[in-house]
Amino acid sequence: MLELIDVSRRYGDVVALDGVSFAVREGTIVGFVGPNGAGKTTAMRIALGVLEPDRGEVRWRGTRVGPDERRRFGYLPEERGLYPKMRVLEQLVYLARLHGLEKERAVARAEEVVRLLGVVDRAGERVENLSLGNQQRVQLAAALVHEPEVLVLDEPFGGLDPIGVDVLITVLRDAAARGAPVVFSSHQLELVERLCDAVVLINHGRIVADGTIGELRDSRARHLLRVEVAAADDRWFGAIPGVSLVERSDGAVVLELDGVDEQRVLDMARASGDVRSFAPVRPTLAELFREVVQE
Amino acid sequence: MRLRDKGVLISTAITIAVLSTFILIRAYGGAGSSVFDLGLVRTPRATGELIAAAASPMNVRLHDFADDAHATDAVRSGVIDAALIGGTTILSKRGIPSQLDAAFRVGLMLERIRDALVRNGVSPEDAGRLFAPPQLASRTLEAMDPNRLENETVAFVAVLLLYGQLFGYGIWVASGVIEEKSSRVVEMLLSAIRPRQLLAGKIFGIGLLGLLQLAVISLFGIALASATHAISIPAHSAGILALTLVWFVFGFAFYASLFAVSGALVSRMEELQNAIVPINLAILGSFLISITSFGSPDSTLSRLAALLPFSSALAMPVRIAIGAAAPWEIALSLVILAGSIALLVPLAGRLYAGAVLRIGARVKLRDAWRAAA
Repeated sequence: MLELIDVSRRYGDVVALDGVSFAVREGTIVGFVGPNGAGKTTAMRIALGVLEPDRGEVRWRGTRVGPDERRRFGYLPEERGLYPKMRVLEQLVYLARLHGLEKERAVARAEEVVRLLGVVDRAGERVENLSLGNQQRVQLAAALVHEPEVLVLDEPFGGLDPIGVDVLITVLRDAAARGAPVVFSSHQLELVERLCDAVVLINHGRIVADGTIGELRDSRARHLLRVEVAAADDRWFGAIPGVSLVERSDGAVVLELDGVDEQRVLDMARASGDVRSFAPVRPTLAELFREVVQE
Repeated sequence: MRLRDKGVLISTAITIAVLSTFILIRAYGGAGSSVFDLGLVRTPRATGELIAAAASPMNVRLHDFADDAHATDAVRSGVIDAALIGGTTILSKRGIPSQLDAAFRVGLMLERIRDALVRNGVSPEDAGRLFAPPQLASRTLEAMDPNRLENETVAFVAVLLLYGQLFGYGIWVASGVIEEKSSRVVEMLLSAIRPRQLLAGKIFGIGLLGLLQLAVISLFGIALASATHAISIPAHSAGILALTLVWFVFGFAFYASLFAVSGALVSRMEELQNAIVPINLAILGSFLISITSFGSPDSTLSRLAALLPFSSALAMPVRIAIGAAAPWEIALSLVILAGSIALLVPLAGRLYAGAVLRIGARVKLRDAWRAAA
């Protein structure tokens, strides 16, 4: 388990992180989300040892993380970081060796990841000559080449075409299946929703939500129903106390129920006309996000 | 570790070419200039000989000319350096060296004296003996190094090379830091190694390359000079070379740390020019002091410069080469330099760590210090 425990960090007067704690279990994929400037990148850099926290610590499998442990982490920084003039394969071998791999193994792994990420025909070129999307793939390769035990990725889906996205999803799932804790940040919440076992929400340097998406939904539990009644007077629900209108869309209404039995609303609807559709509304992660962040 | 690109090979080749040119010129072209060709018009040969004797140790060659016109042409065309006309006028293109000026006066005075002696009954042979240049025995308090001139020349070239290397490779360290910063690859690197390791590795790798290049150039220079006998390479040139290399290693470690920090504080090459001004001044100053050390190796300035870590890398080799440095001074200088490096590298490492991730505006030293806490 990768843990951040009570991590704080400030830059001069700006507090970037304030007592941040969360854990990523082995074999799970955790989405790390938050608005711009919330502290995601800072937290990731601290986990990787690129930055030192003012307070708090990072633990891997129970022990405090030092340089030896960090060499086993795979990192994808937010801004692409590669030597522009170095050739792809050379660079991957170099980085693999920097992380402690023997030369032969490094070369073998470099060739493997290059094939895995679909940039094998670019392997002999200088990084600066690649398209941004391909550079992103190489960056990803760099994070994976040394067979890391932990994956920390900052905005990994940025710049990838749909095929690249699929490749990345496969890579992340494989890594988790092999037992690595995987944490990544993204603004593409549909992807996070699709991929992640758990989500950590950060805002203004503090964790505001942490758990599975289901738990998140339940904790924000608003009882919402979407009801479509044919040719009905819109105010059919007005008579029931505890029922309020959230929004209208396409001839249907979204109602919020506060301590009211659904069946009663159903009866009321039927009394007003033919009920075309009657279903609970599950908020998307994006909506949850907006809600939580705006508090 | 470090990228070996074409630039290194090209610069080595160019330096060798330049050095070779100098050596070859010295070997084949320089011989003629130390002789002064004097033309004599309506002046007795004996007068010319007196002047030549007075001008010793400078080499004066005498040529007779029938008339003014021929002599003037010869001066104009450079065949002779000057002409003595009628024993009273010196004709030259742009003046004669002051040393010779004195020789002319003395020579003419001697001529007058000799004429007076002969008129008064002294035989020409006796007079001739009187005017032969006297032998002066020279005794020095400190042992004179017979190879002093050669040593100085070698030392001069060595200092020049050192200056170039310190500067060029120092800049390379700084620009490498900036490149890693601007390409953000430094973030990837720091996720695997500590900032101090990155800094040390960079200084070591580039320094090694610089040392190699220096060694190659020096060996080539010595080999070529020996082969063409341009200058007689004294036996302990190898010693001077070794010392130069040692001081390069230490001097480079010192300056490279400073360069690396400068590189970490800025984000673009353009800003680097400003950031390294103090370092440039220090290196240039050291170089100039080293050059003046040739003339006055025991002055306070020279001694101090050879001890202070900023300048000792350039100043000490000079003093050693001309034999002016005592063993205790050499040891002390090295100790001071090594000690400074031991203090500087961790300091630089900390500043580097704090500054290297801050992209954008120039980082203040204090921020860099605190950021790495």
